[in-house]
Amino acid sequence: MAELTLGNVTKRFDDVVAVDDVSIEIDDGEFLVLVGPSGCGKSTTLRMIAGLETISDGRIAIDGDVVNDAPAQQRDIAMVFQSYALYPHMTVRENMRFGLEESTTLEKAEMDSRVEDAAETLEIDDLLERKPGELSGGQQQRVALGRAIVRDPAVFLMDEPLSNLDAKLRSGMRTELQRLQEELGVTTVYVTHDQTEAMTMSDRIAILDGGELQQVATPLECYHRPTNRFVAGFIGEPSMNFFDVSLEDGRLVDSDIEFEYPLSSVVRDSVGETTELVLGIRPEDVELLDARETAHDFPVVVDVVEPMGNENNLLVRFPDTDTESTFNVIVDGMCHVEAGKRYVIRIPESAIHVFDRETGAALHNREIEDETELLASRV
Amino acid sequence: MATADGTGRSVGDRIAEHRAELDTQRVVLYAVLVGLVGFYLSPLWAGLTTAFKSQAGFINTSPLEPPTPAWFTVEPWELAFATLQGGLVNSVMFVVPATILSALFGSFAAYGLTKLSWRGQVGILVIFLAGVFLPYQSVLVPLRQFWSIVDLAGLLAFAPVLANRADLLELTITHTAYGIPICTILFRSYYKTLGDEMIEAAKIDGANAFGIYKRIVLPLSLPMFAVTLIYQFTQVWNDLLFALVLVTSRSNYVVTQSLNELQGSMAQEYNIQMAGAFIAALPTIIIYIVFGRQFAKGITGAS
Amino acid sequence: MGFIDRLRSRTGRRDREDRSERSRTDGQSEEPQTDGQRGELRTDGGSDVRTRGGLSRLKHSDAVQAVPFWLPPALLMGWFVYGAVGWNLLISLTDWSGLSQPDYTNLTLEMYTQMPNDPSFVAAFRNTVVLLVAFTVVSLVIGLVLAILVDQNIRFENTLRTIYLLPMALSFVVTAIFWSWMYNPSTGTINVVLSTIGLDFLTMDWIGDPRTRLAAIIFALTWQFSGYAMVVYLAGLRAIPDSHYEAAKVDGAGSLRMYWRVIVPQLSASTTSAAVVLMVFALKAFDFIFIMFGDNPGRSADILAVMMFRVAFSRTQWAYGAAVATILFLMALSVVAPYLYLQYKRGDL
Repeated sequence: MAELTLGNVTKRFDDVVAVDDVSIEIDDGEFLVLVGPSGCGKSTTLRMIAGLETISDGRIAIDGDVVNDAPAQQRDIAMVFQSYALYPHMTVRENMRFGLEESTTLEKAEMDSRVEDAAETLEIDDLLERKPGELSGGQQQRVALGRAIVRDPAVFLMDEPLSNLDAKLRSGMRTELQRLQEELGVTTVYVTHDQTEAMTMSDRIAILDGGELQQVATPLECYHRPTNRFVAGFIGEPSMNFFDVSLEDGRLVDSDIEFEYPLSSVVRDSVGETTELVLGIRPEDVELLDARETAHDFPVVVDVVEPMGNENNLLVRFPDTDTESTFNVIVDGMCHVEAGKRYVIRIPESAIHVFDRETGAALHNREIEDETELLASRV
Repeated sequence: MATADGTGRSVGDRIAEHRAELDTQRVVLYAVLVGLVGFYLSPLWAGLTTAFKSQAGFINTSPLEPPTPAWFTVEPWELAFATLQGGLVNSVMFVVPATILSALFGSFAAYGLTKLSWRGQVGILVIFLAGVFLPYQSVLVPLRQFWSIVDLAGLLAFAPVLANRADLLELTITHTAYGIPICTILFRSYYKTLGDEMIEAAKIDGANAFGIYKRIVLPLSLPMFAVTLIYQFTQVWNDLLFALVLVTSRSNYVVTQSLNELQGSMAQEYNIQMAGAFIAALPTIIIYIVFGRQFAKGITGAS
Repeated sequence: MGFIDRLRSRTGRRDREDRSERSRTDGQSEEPQTDGQRGELRTDGGSDVRTRGGLSRLKHSDAVQAVPFWLPPALLMGWFVYGAVGWNLLISLTDWSGLSQPDYTNLTLEMYTQMPNDPSFVAAFRNTVVLLVAFTVVSLVIGLVLAILVDQNIRFENTLRTIYLLPMALSFVVTAIFWSWMYNPSTGTINVVLSTIGLDFLTMDWIGDPRTRLAAIIFALTWQFSGYAMVVYLAGLRAIPDSHYEAAKVDGAGSLRMYWRVIVPQLSASTTSAAVVLMVFALKAFDFIFIMFGDNPGRSADILAVMMFRVAFSRTQWAYGAAVATILFLMALSVVAPYLYLQYKRGDL
């Protein structure tokens, strides 16, 4: 168990900057998920922590010891790879024991007992004498995990470990991994491109884009208090709706579609002098009404209705716009909505986000009633 | 480097799918194939029948006829074996170590190459690859000069057993060196297919470069060792040129040299020559028949 | 809480029996440790390795760790291949002959300038080129035909392939002896077969007659190596994806046309690699000719590889032999270098 510190870590490949000045403090026992679109530098960051890539600039420290120049062998970490990377010529037992043999001076009996305990934990104790080729994908996954946990490392690193599993296995494994990590209490860095994994498993999420760190925060904080438009759009499925608007006389205006959204003084103050803005609203925060009641209500046409049972996903648009500019609305599953009909939506001011269109920075985030309770870190 | 094991569907099969009038074509096809078998085996067949005939027998009968009881004899085999047995022993003594050493060195080199960046790898690889195609004539004179300067026999004078075998030791080292390029190429094409993540996993598990080689790469290379050893054994066993240049003492003659000598001294006794040829070729023929698949893989990997 | 304890609390294995068993097996290794098993980690490089800096990074970089693996074989091979080729070039610039030692002080191109005036060299050079081209082309054609025949989804395919490739496993020494017997003018198989099928007028002393000697050598070498071309082509044929000629099938092309127009053009990579290897075999065809004819097969069948050996090792004209060897090396290089460059361009290396 250990703290892991990334301080201004940078990775350059020739003239491409893959990871740009990333700093993260990861607490002892924390489960941190590195998430971002492909090519955002998350895997490179993980590989630098592992010692599989050199660090161009900055420092990586485990429990205060800078490990920049320590080879992977001496970093006291364990890693689970996307391909599992099991040794095909060894049995499951030998696979799991390999790390102990190479990095410790334990006695053979102790190694075996550790391997057996770990195997039991992962419910693969009856597979110990098989070779990886005889196992299913899910079983191989467990062996890869077992190989990591027997070593009792300071840090677990996981590189998209669930992406080769089918959907059903994946969600089961997600819960199990999370529970395992909680019980073992090992500091874990987990890379994924899947935001569901990020939201459900992590203590904190670190979102990367283009090699730059966008935000490090608890899942709900990323969801409700995104620092910028990228995070707001990346976290949440379906993602937040964005409308390009201008600030005119205290109202958000899109003159092309005669959209006017008056702002209260609180929001106006947080927006300040910026006039070129983006209005953001999550699909589930939009309300569906029968008639206009307030200045925050707008007529819309419903293009598509996707009934999910518990809720309906609607694709709607403002009248007189083309089908390219639809946005998402989620309403209760019991609510009957017909495609092609006109409705009225309300965009409650308490739920809107406002971003600077040029920098993407969040100028105003939604209101939260019991902030401390909702956003409290899970650690 | 394509697979030579003939898996995958045949083009002919796939073309023929839509054609029905194949019966006569098939008959002709098999006739041609059998005729070709006759062509490819005829020198061996003629040699085999002749080796079992007496002198009068092979002069008076066609070489394609099997020996009749009147002409049948195994004497040529006994005579040929008596001439070749020293060479056979000497060949085994240097071919086996040379083959194993080349394969080991090739495996080391190929493993080392996989750890380099692509650019560095290609540079070194070209150096190895060019060595595969070297015509040995272009190194013969320096080779002889080199070994005469080194004077292995003199260096080993303290141990007469070894000093007497200096020629074979020279041959072992020489063949090892010239076998390294092809072995490296063969192993490298295999190591390219090993997963990077597996090697990285071993690294994270705490294994150093030697540990990874010994415990991961080497055990996984065993099929490739079979290919390399078989290919290299055949090459070294069959070679005459280096032996002609390096082996001077008659007691160290290798089997190809002994066979050459047998051919020269028994110019008209074809039955003994043929028996000798078969005896000398027997190890490679056996290996070829048993490990034909690996042999084919070796020679296609060499291209 | 130590790792095992954490695991055990998870799996609920805290019963007394189990514990006593544990303490028996690992009591010794566990007792002195205060903080889990961390203390057992090997610190190969010493405990200060994490702060040591650049030198340590260099020591642990892959490139440095790879050196002990590739360098010794590279040095051994490099000395015997490149060192020897260079040395050979140096020797070819001296006038070394006989039992003396070479004198490297006075280097001239004399050995090379005398070549064009040496009829024996000119003949050997010409024969080498003829052998190279004829042997390669014929072997490729026969190999392609064999591959196409074997590829007709036939029975006993493995056996047939094994037979066609068998001569390749034999030593030149062995095949030369077989073929001397095959070509024997009175009782050799070739002439016997020709007479049997009524082609008496074609029987001749194939390897005795200077006019047919080179052709006879090429024929025998083709017998030995066409199986190799077959294997390469067969691999090429099997690698062609279905879709590539399904279009041609739809167009109604016949089998022959299909092979000629669709299949054969796709085998160019196989052709190139087989051709290069065959040419190099041809340059090395020394053993075969040496066994058949000794070191002097006569002008009609002399090749550079044999001439080099004769000049250097029988007549001890070392410098001239080295010069001939250099020409042979350059010929091989002119075949192989473009091939390697092509492979490099294609990214096949």
